[in-house]
Amino acid sequence: MDFSRDKTAESVISSLHQVAEEMHNKMMKGTAPTMSLPVRTKKNIEFNKRLGVFKYGKKRSLRDATSLRSANQLLRALHIIEFIEEMINSGKSSTLREMYYISEAWGNGKFGSQNESNNLAEDLEIVTKCMREDFKLRPEEDGARMIGDITINERNRKGDWMKINARDDVGDSGYGLPYNVESEKLRLIENDIDFIMAIETGGMFDRLVENGFDEEHRAGLLHLKGQPARSTRRMLKRMNEEWNLPVIVFLDGDPWSFRIFASIAYGAIKTAHISEYLATPSASYLGITADDILAYDLPSDDLSSKDIEALKAELTDPRFADGWWQEQINMMLDLGKKAEQQSLAKYGLDFVTDTYLPEKLAGLGLI
Amino acid sequence: MQQASISEFFEKNKHFLGFDTLNRSIITATKESVDNSLDACEEARLLPDIHIEIRKVKGKTDELIMISQDNGPGIPPDSITKVFGSLLFGSRFHTIRQTRGQQGIGITGVVMYSQLTTGKKTQVISKVKQEATAVYVNIGLDTKKNKAISSKRRRDHWFNSEGEIIEHGVKVQAHLKAKYQRGKQSVHQYLRMTSIVNPHASLSLVVYDEEGEVIDEGNWPRVTDTLPHPVKEIRPHPHGLEIGSLQRFLRDSKERKMTSFLRHNFSGVSVRAAREILYKSEIDEARKPSSITAPEVQAMLEAFKKVKLLSPPTDCLSPIEDLLIKKGLSKAIDSKFVSTVTRAPSVAGGNPFQVEVGLIFGTDLPSDSPVEVLRIANRVPLMYQQGGCLLTKSIESVDWKKYGLEHPGGRGVPKGPAAILVHLASTNVFFTSEAKEALSDNEEVFNEIRLALQEVGRGLRNHKRKSKQREKAREKFELVNVILPEISAKASSILGREEPDLAPVITNIMNAIFSEEMSEWDSTEKVTKCSIKLFNYTNRPRQYTILATWPEREGVEMVNENYEGRREAKGLRKWKLDTLQPSENLEISFSIDGLSKGDWTQFDVFFRGSGDIIGAMKLDEKILEEIRREEMAAIEEEALATKFIIDDVMEFDTDSSGDLDSDELDDAIRGPLGDVIDETTGSEVVETHDAGESGTLDREEITDAISDKNTHQANLFSEEWSDE
Repeated sequence: MDFSRDKTAESVISSLHQVAEEMHNKMMKGTAPTMSLPVRTKKNIEFNKRLGVFKYGKKRSLRDATSLRSANQLLRALHIIEFIEEMINSGKSSTLREMYYISEAWGNGKFGSQNESNNLAEDLEIVTKCMREDFKLRPEEDGARMIGDITINERNRKGDWMKINARDDVGDSGYGLPYNVESEKLRLIENDIDFIMAIETGGMFDRLVENGFDEEHRAGLLHLKGQPARSTRRMLKRMNEEWNLPVIVFLDGDPWSFRIFASIAYGAIKTAHISEYLATPSASYLGITADDILAYDLPSDDLSSKDIEALKAELTDPRFADGWWQEQINMMLDLGKKAEQQSLAKYGLDFVTDTYLPEKLAGLGLI
Repeated sequence: MQQASISEFFEKNKHFLGFDTLNRSIITATKESVDNSLDACEEARLLPDIHIEIRKVKGKTDELIMISQDNGPGIPPDSITKVFGSLLFGSRFHTIRQTRGQQGIGITGVVMYSQLTTGKKTQVISKVKQEATAVYVNIGLDTKKNKAISSKRRRDHWFNSEGEIIEHGVKVQAHLKAKYQRGKQSVHQYLRMTSIVNPHASLSLVVYDEEGEVIDEGNWPRVTDTLPHPVKEIRPHPHGLEIGSLQRFLRDSKERKMTSFLRHNFSGVSVRAAREILYKSEIDEARKPSSITAPEVQAMLEAFKKVKLLSPPTDCLSPIEDLLIKKGLSKAIDSKFVSTVTRAPSVAGGNPFQVEVGLIFGTDLPSDSPVEVLRIANRVPLMYQQGGCLLTKSIESVDWKKYGLEHPGGRGVPKGPAAILVHLASTNVFFTSEAKEALSDNEEVFNEIRLALQEVGRGLRNHKRKSKQREKAREKFELVNVILPEISAKASSILGREEPDLAPVITNIMNAIFSEEMSEWDSTEKVTKCSIKLFNYTNRPRQYTILATWPEREGVEMVNENYEGRREAKGLRKWKLDTLQPSENLEISFSIDGLSKGDWTQFDVFFRGSGDIIGAMKLDEKILEEIRREEMAAIEEEALATKFIIDDVMEFDTDSSGDLDSDELDDAIRGPLGDVIDETTGSEVVETHDAGESGTLDREEITDAISDKNTHQANLFSEEWSDE
């Protein structure tokens, strides 16, 4: 399942050169240079049965130099390509943020914002079918932290392998995932757990840790830190596939959390080109669900107009097309309410670990 | 004035005298002083420097001191009392020419008002160049005798604040019951407008409160050193005559024959026309004017309408001139775009008039408020009764939406960050009321103003279109000149390949013809250098005719044209260009001589040809037709005037020989040839212009002699005529 192994430095550079070639060839023919990419909105996401995930479809958009704005984008793309080639040839790497600042020296090729820079890096990933790790580019995002009886080997800065158990060898905040969780950097050694629970909020993670939930129910706890980083999703996928462990996702009950689940289970729209590496199609959504809000009479908030807009957009998002999701989303719209996972504390600090989770996990057949 | 006392007269007529409210009184007082100063300076051919100071009087409610000082010729010592104390003093009430003075009772009104409301006399200092000292005097009114009285008269040297002696000028100081207010109807606004329409005048204002703190001030320096040309007097034109005036002229006339009466007292009447008029009204030519009866007078008025007359001369008018209005407006109001137009003079009801219009756009005014309307009549700003004024109505009648201003419902004044100035110059301005703040309806004037407004409107529309196109063009130029070469360089460097030839890529991206015009002042050669660059960024060869506007007028000429051009119409030059190949560009350049710096900073470029040019406008042939038609009409009028003069001159052919010998010419020179030809004797004229060497001048040779000089119709009525 490792993919970065496939790409040698030469093949990465050659793929990047193809982008420059498309532009050069067009100019040699006397026409405006272009760069073509897949359309990257929900209108162009298709479910790939074989991989069980959502990927980009066939719609393509053509960036060409007929407007000042898109001409600038082409120039920036060329600068990035040159920069990446330099890094590969000199054995260096850089964060996306660093690359954004380096672009200040690129004159007309400089970026207006971090987002622009990130988006263009993603564009290049898609067009070249490489990962940004191949480009020697690292994100700023924080990886998740884990607690549970899981043993891994991590290669440190000096190149030495360290053996770490995520219960015995760590403090209360657990083991922090590095930005690169591929086998050249992190190996899965052994585990003594029955399932992995991915948790949205730090508060809930700490509650479960404090209550010893991982020990009592033989669980591996993973704090997603909100919208999960690529490394987090990759890790979940690796543990699910290599160790055959079920992945349960426990989030707040609101439209944004639904999207977090979708990115874990089905693939994110932004990274649809590499969904098969990041998505865990068999992940299950535990809660908070709309019927949980009703069943447990949880303290809740009214849906804002933005929430309602998001829910309605999800109704037409191909990743939420199945019957269960459609039902849940409509239920939430009818209810008009959303609730946080920590609202379970209404019934006491131990309610979540003593009652709610055991009930829900039993329902999923895990305990 | 004999029957009523001064104060009664004043009370009854406060409104039209301009002293009906406290706010207005100070404006009227300022207006009278400033008008006097401007008129006097113009007559003496001096550039006016006028300073107004207003002070709130401490301890009194609503009392102001107004001090007005000018650098004019001064008032001769003997005339001071009359000027300040008499309602009808001054030549301007008797003659027909464009004057400011029609619109006010004069400075006497200020003296009256001051005395009635504060009991104080008006202090005057006047110095003329010829006298060694200035006159200091106080003017008041004897209310019992209804006469002006002067007091405390003395002579002394007059010094300015730097201790230098003042050679000539007038200073007036009056106390008034008045209130100073700021804003739209204020002395500040009045002076601001006055400076725009008198670009040769420098005006300044300072206003103090009771404590001596400055509460308002303004400084409007002149934008030109050229004085408006002196206005000439003209005789009335028959078309504007009323029966009462005609009867009076006949009764008072000392002429012995009707033909000479008609030709000496009116403009536009030639010998033939005079004869035709008398024929149609069945009056014998030899009749004495004083013998004409009432029904005959009526017949004459009818005949006037039926006989072909020349238009009255128009050099009695003094327009501000479009380039100066532009300068004045640009200086007074910060903006992005100014367009001005001075129409050719025209006639309405026997009165010559001329319309000038200015549109300034991109001001600080919010875009959803009505545009600022500046109304001027004979170089005097109109401050009140905007709604009922002909000038406003003309503005309201134009469809401004077409030209780029918001005009909800097409009613009222348009909205936008703009100001519209309308100036009517005429020998006779008609007001809606005695208050003289709004002009009454007049169809010819209304139409002329509309045409002028549409012209500046088109200028605005073109400017807006150009700005938008400019913006797009700028982006594209940056793209192909900066970004594209970098893309080419970087891609080629990454791949280690040769750089492509970018010319076809550029035409592929641009796919348009571009035009860029530029105008700038060359301070070494003292000319305005203009250029039009044309770029063919398409893949086909193109052929165009390019036209450009330029300020064609007397004293201004186009020089150093690199491509030979032709005159398409007044103010429109054209160049028929050779085919422009793809990726090719060319530059048309020329200079304009006779302007000063800042006069001509933008101009419009038009084209004839297929397709579109970014930065130039397709020529509207309809409008061109209209311009040509107006020009032709003016030329025909001119030719007709020459013909009339020749007809009159041929009348001197007493021996009916078909041409004039030197004796006959001597008589003609004292008559219609007047100062058209400045040789003083008939034999000299024959010598100079006898091309056929016949010893006499035939009709053709006389025509040439006249066309040699500028023909002034007014000279038909030179005062040096002797009776026939």
